[in-house]
Amino acid sequence: MAADISTGLIAIGSGLAIGLSAIAAAMAESTIGAAAVGAMAEKEELFGKGLILTVIPETLVIFGLVIAILILNLAKGG
Amino acid sequence: MLRPHQMNSVIITGSNNIQETVIKELHNLKILHIVEHSKNELADIGKPLESAAKLSEILVKVRALMAALGIKKEDNRFEIKKGSLEIESTTKKITQEVSINLDEFKKIEEQSTKNQAAKQELEILKSIDMPLESFTPYKTLAYFTGYINDINLLKEELAEITERFMFFDSIAKKSPFIVLFIDAKNKEQASNILNKHKFSPVNFANIGNLKGNASGNLKKLEEYTKKLQQKKDSIKKNLEKLSMEYQGFLIAADEFLDEQLEKAQAPLKFASTQSSFLIKGWIPAEELKNSIDRLNKASKNKIFIHFEPAKKDDKVPVKLKNPIFAKPFEFFIDLYSIPTYKEIDPTFFIFLTFPIFFGVMLGDIGYGALSILLFLVLKKKMPKAKNFFNILILASFVTILFGFLFGEFFGYEITHPIISRVHDMFTLLYIAIGIGIVHVNIGLAIGFINELKSHGLMKAIYEKASWFILQIGIALLALSYFGKILISPLIGAGFLGLSILMLFKGEGIKGIIELPSILTNIMSYVRLMAIGLSSVELAIVINESSKEFFHKGGFFVLIGVLILVIGHAINIMLGLLGSFLHSLRLHYVEFFSKFFHGGAKKYQPFGAKE
Repeated sequence: MAADISTGLIAIGSGLAIGLSAIAAAMAESTIGAAAVGAMAEKEELFGKGLILTVIPETLVIFGLVIAILILNLAKGG
Repeated sequence: MLRPHQMNSVIITGSNNIQETVIKELHNLKILHIVEHSKNELADIGKPLESAAKLSEILVKVRALMAALGIKKEDNRFEIKKGSLEIESTTKKITQEVSINLDEFKKIEEQSTKNQAAKQELEILKSIDMPLESFTPYKTLAYFTGYINDINLLKEELAEITERFMFFDSIAKKSPFIVLFIDAKNKEQASNILNKHKFSPVNFANIGNLKGNASGNLKKLEEYTKKLQQKKDSIKKNLEKLSMEYQGFLIAADEFLDEQLEKAQAPLKFASTQSSFLIKGWIPAEELKNSIDRLNKASKNKIFIHFEPAKKDDKVPVKLKNPIFAKPFEFFIDLYSIPTYKEIDPTFFIFLTFPIFFGVMLGDIGYGALSILLFLVLKKKMPKAKNFFNILILASFVTILFGFLFGEFFGYEITHPIISRVHDMFTLLYIAIGIGIVHVNIGLAIGFINELKSHGLMKAIYEKASWFILQIGIALLALSYFGKILISPLIGAGFLGLSILMLFKGEGIKGIIELPSILTNIMSYVRLMAIGLSSVELAIVINESSKEFFHKGGFFVLIGVLILVIGHAINIMLGLLGSFLHSLRLHYVEFFSKFFHGGAKKYQPFGAKE
């Protein structure tokens, strides 16, 4: 890859796409995770549901990853 | 498959004198799901059998013993021969033996803590050469012990009040430790001066009876502590011996009593009058005839049994019915919620798609093979979680199949891949979305059937078929907009508008709000490709970074091997966790939300163990 500025900007854009979405997912998951652990302390059978609820925001990162790949593809295409 | 076992509602009634016989036979049959009676003006709930109070008393004792001896429930072959009488007498005997040891142990513990406190005090006094008996109350003398900041200043100031004082000091830890004897008359003055110099007093409460110098006593105390420790060890050994000896008996007794108590307390779930009882419950249709015959035989035809198939609004307990290969997947249903009696049981669909989703995400020959081994070992070690591991073994096997499709072995491309996860990223992305469309629509179809059964055709069309039309509308609109087919975009828009109207009629404003969910749900299946991709990329990074070390040769080869082993171990763990959770999530969130209601009670026959 030629190291010109436009490639660098594309790389930064792609990094931002995944990084920011990861931060967003982490914030959401931390809240849900804390609540899920609290619920589990009351009722242990909720483990399954808690686990599932906790990974729900992970969709955000996956969308971020897809966007990141799409942006990177711009760089390849020129 | 798809439908739970047929259930019949059953009512058993008879006079009180045969109640115990009926309970016993029901407990042996392990077939009746009892519906608890709640008190009303017609009938109260039953009274427990006479033996219940005694049984629970012994059970409490047995459990207390198990806790004291640290015995955990496990399988064992000990047999209780003479019933609860034997348990009672043996339990009494064990309790005596154990409590002697426990009392002794407690005493020693108390003494030990006292010794520990005395030891700390002696440590402080060790460096001051004074007999310990000096620290007793005096008439004419007062004394202070404690830490202080500056000794010299203190001495000067004390000298100003009186000459009659004595002073011992030692440098302990950070600040100096002092012992000050002073005329009782000057006690208050001295105390004021001391406070000025930030005096922190030390109280010697635990060495009251000791005589002689501190270090000598310290030695004695240490010997004493050693002796106590030896005693403690021997008591511990005794308890361990007792625990070994009676483990089998206690576990068996616990089980036995539990079972007896279940029977004795069963009438609490029955309706009862002064002289009769009535049991309501559910029995699977195929077991009905046999159970009724056996109950009649046991009670010598002295009971009356009424039965009828489940009615529309009954809250029927659900016993899922699936072929043996799909049975383990009922685990996921238990984890989520039991489908109601009228609903389609989605276990079989999970059986079809879960391993595929898992396989696509992990998709590596090496990882699949390793995880099969891992789960086989774990299954042996934890036979209780058999179903769970069976699911994972099947999923790992599918992982190997997809590994061949992707041509991956620990991240290396060993065969020529049919689809490469690294290079054909977009092909896979489209495939993932395709899978999503199919899966979501299967869910909608099941929802359509559920609605059809419970609320009729019109409701089903408005609520579920509208989503199909919506999708057709979007597809037509997109295709005509991009010029792939030559029709007016208006046709697509027409479909779209129609579906929105239907949804509004079916589900109200909630339906309109839910509209975009179909797109996000389908997009969510992109994770099938994304999680796989991240797993592959991580594997490649591990392989590449170890390769550099292999090139350097010599000692570095070892580091390279280490990177490979640790790196892939971590990647497998991440991959397993991610693939498992995400394929499960695709079912629970994207798939189930299209049709699943759940919330039914699980069929739990009286007498059956979990």
